[in-house]
Amino acid sequence: MFCLDTYLRESEDYTIHLNRAGFKDCANFIEKNAKRVVHVPAGAKIVGARIIGIPPVPIGVDDENKTIMLPYTKPCYGTAVVEIPVPEEEIEILETKSI
Amino acid sequence: MKKALLLLGCPESPSQTPLAIYAANKLDKMGFDVTLASTPSAMKLLEVSDPEGYYIKNKIDLESCLDTIKEGDYQLLIGFAHKDAAVSYFVTFYHILNTKSLALVFHPDAEKLEAFEETIKDSTDAEIVSARAYHNPTPIRVRLDRALKPLEAM
Repeated sequence: MFCLDTYLRESEDYTIHLNRAGFKDCANFIEKNAKRVVHVPAGAKIVGARIIGIPPVPIGVDDENKTIMLPYTKPCYGTAVVEIPVPEEEIEILETKSI
Repeated sequence: MKKALLLLGCPESPSQTPLAIYAANKLDKMGFDVTLASTPSAMKLLEVSDPEGYYIKNKIDLESCLDTIKEGDYQLLIGFAHKDAAVSYFVTFYHILNTKSLALVFHPDAEKLEAFEETIKDSTDAEIVSARAYHNPTPIRVRLDRALKPLEAM
């Protein structure tokens, strides 16, 4: 099963679009720049991690390149926007959490 | 036994550790089984402040807690919301637990304080106590006492 934290620790294949930002700035970035946006509840489990944020939390989807763009929050570092490649089934799981 | 979760954020605000110990003691005396969820660095501050575990009886790593909690696990959530990330964590825990909740909002900057309050107000039904504070825990402690008073009957 895909695990976001492990992936970010062990892979270099990801893009950080924003770093040490506020949640609202990150949500706006995803809304404006993602090819397609799925909204999920705060605390939804996506790619093996609970998503932290103010609901509805936007998750960007690039179906062509099979990537998702999500807000990633840590208590001392604020929120980042991270784009990672994911297996196709993770996009299908994401769709089931849509609100 | 009623269970309360005290949610701590980044420990850079000097008021957080004393307020967490104060709130844990207060809730314990009110009959709550209290668990503190925090980052490892915030936990270290608590452990040094309360070496015998007199006030802090149950503690859990924030990320592990986030991974495992579900609705019904706690009857009361109290969260420190003194940074943008802490506000996001509080709102997230609120929506997972779907229980009576109290946000302790404090920041030295009035604009940020207002923005944090607004975010919590717009996205939860949690009770909010707030004060312009950073080093001095007293303004929040006084408001916390007031907010906890009605919960004594819980």
